[in-house]
Amino acid sequence: MNERELRKRLLTDPVPEELEARERVWPTVRAAWETRERVSWVERRARPILALAAAAVLVGAAVSPPGRGVAGWLREQVAAEEEGRELLRLPASGRLLVESGRGPWVVRADGSRRLLGAFDEATWSPRGLFVAVTDGRELHAVEPDGKVVRWTLPRPERISNPRWAPSGFRVAYRSGKTLRVVVGDGTGDRLVARNVGPAPPAWQPGPEHVLAYADEDGGISIVNVDSGEGLRRFHVGQAVRELLWSANGRRLAALVDEERIALFQPDGRLVRTIEARRGRAILAMAFAPSGRDLAVSDYSPASGGSILVIRPRTGATRMLLQVPGPLDQLAWAPNGRWILATWPAADQWLFVRTERPSRVLAVSRVTQEFDPGSTGQDAFPRIAGWCCP
Amino acid sequence: MRGAQAGSVSDLEALFRDHWPRAYRAAYLVVHDAAAAEDIAQEAFLSAVRSLDRFDRRRPFGPWLHRIVVNRAIDWARARTLRREVGDEGLVTAAAPAESAQRALSEGIAGALAGLTPEHRAVIVLRYLLEYTPGEIADLLDLPRGTVNSRLRRGLDRLQSRVEEDR
Repeated sequence: MNERELRKRLLTDPVPEELEARERVWPTVRAAWETRERVSWVERRARPILALAAAAVLVGAAVSPPGRGVAGWLREQVAAEEEGRELLRLPASGRLLVESGRGPWVVRADGSRRLLGAFDEATWSPRGLFVAVTDGRELHAVEPDGKVVRWTLPRPERISNPRWAPSGFRVAYRSGKTLRVVVGDGTGDRLVARNVGPAPPAWQPGPEHVLAYADEDGGISIVNVDSGEGLRRFHVGQAVRELLWSANGRRLAALVDEERIALFQPDGRLVRTIEARRGRAILAMAFAPSGRDLAVSDYSPASGGSILVIRPRTGATRMLLQVPGPLDQLAWAPNGRWILATWPAADQWLFVRTERPSRVLAVSRVTQEFDPGSTGQDAFPRIAGWCCP
Repeated sequence: MRGAQAGSVSDLEALFRDHWPRAYRAAYLVVHDAAAAEDIAQEAFLSAVRSLDRFDRRRPFGPWLHRIVVNRAIDWARARTLRREVGDEGLVTAAAPAESAQRALSEGIAGALAGLTPEHRAVIVLRYLLEYTPGEIADLLDLPRGTVNSRLRRGLDRLQSRVEEDR
């Protein structure tokens, strides 16, 4: 084979997935381009300007009060650069919503991030155009750049667990021990149920505004919030820690007291129970965007934490990752090819590829990235969602 | 490039589609893993997009992108054997979608390249796929030119012998 033939074969021999990969990657590149930090004329010339400003500070601060003003401007410029700097890159498209002691952050695929404000909890609207945030006794809808508050809803009791309906037209939330729903524009607030349990409510994917929630006494209710009709109510006997609908809305998963996951049909019929492995507790679960697989995090002090991917229809289970400590949250990437697992004890995030060959990308010192100065697992940020395809 | 910098999404798409085939192909020929090649090429484009507004239009875009792609591909291939890929042995195995295509390809030039070290693959890809001169490859990989020439020579020798073995 001569060099000419080598060149020709390198250029023309088929390469697997070339076109499919191109079509998968283009939306990510486009999204990164559309959400990039625009560089102004001043920023493009920031270095020479800052150098000049620094020189001005040295002269000005030495001789006159206005010099202090120049120093303040310089500090602000440096601080602004810190706020938007790149922390990590997401291995897949979409944006992460992260709750921290400083408030919720939006992290873009290219790693740039923005603090939405001094809010408590946050949740994406279905297409990521808005974020519902809580602030003590207020619920707000804000734009993801954090600059515009679209509406505010005050309540007499503390607000928690906001969840935006897949249609975008309703937001469910807890106010004290009541479950309430407000229209997506902030109007029409109304009561859905009293004495609800601590598990956040879960909207069923689909055109109807159907909501599942857990009672304080181990019951699960499914209601149509528009008609007020109670569709189903059934008991699991123990505390429900989490409720999730599969992407196609045909399965409702209930994490029951760290011991098992019960999978129900929308009519309340139990179709499968996934028991915790011997001596282990189930800490978290997350349905894949495809709806076919369920990722489960379990843990035992003796053998550490694991992520399992279970196909509920067949029961097929595969081990995705094992680490020495508990992984307390799971979030699928919108493309279903990565899972983000949070590891508070190690102060790390782990991005785990779900396809073979497996791959793990670790992000360290997560607390310092989102809540500088705070320490301990209580300060570890929480993932509020990975949005959108 | 000028249009993409000015905010034209169609120009950005044209730039992406123009450069994707060689970027992806270069990554694949170094790492021999379709998923990794996709990640590497994607990362390179994301890096490019992040820096697009600062990019000096007097410089060519291709070498800038290829430098990122090939260096990351070398890093990935080197790390592959060192990286702890947890849990593989316990997985319920299912054929990866690209497996059959990869097997088919292993009969061809990519299969022959797979027997070389990542460093040798990279210089051959840069020289014969991306058509850089040895001097340009030395700049891209931050290597002495003599090292590039010797890697090219040895890489070609090994490639030739592997192709002949396959025959």
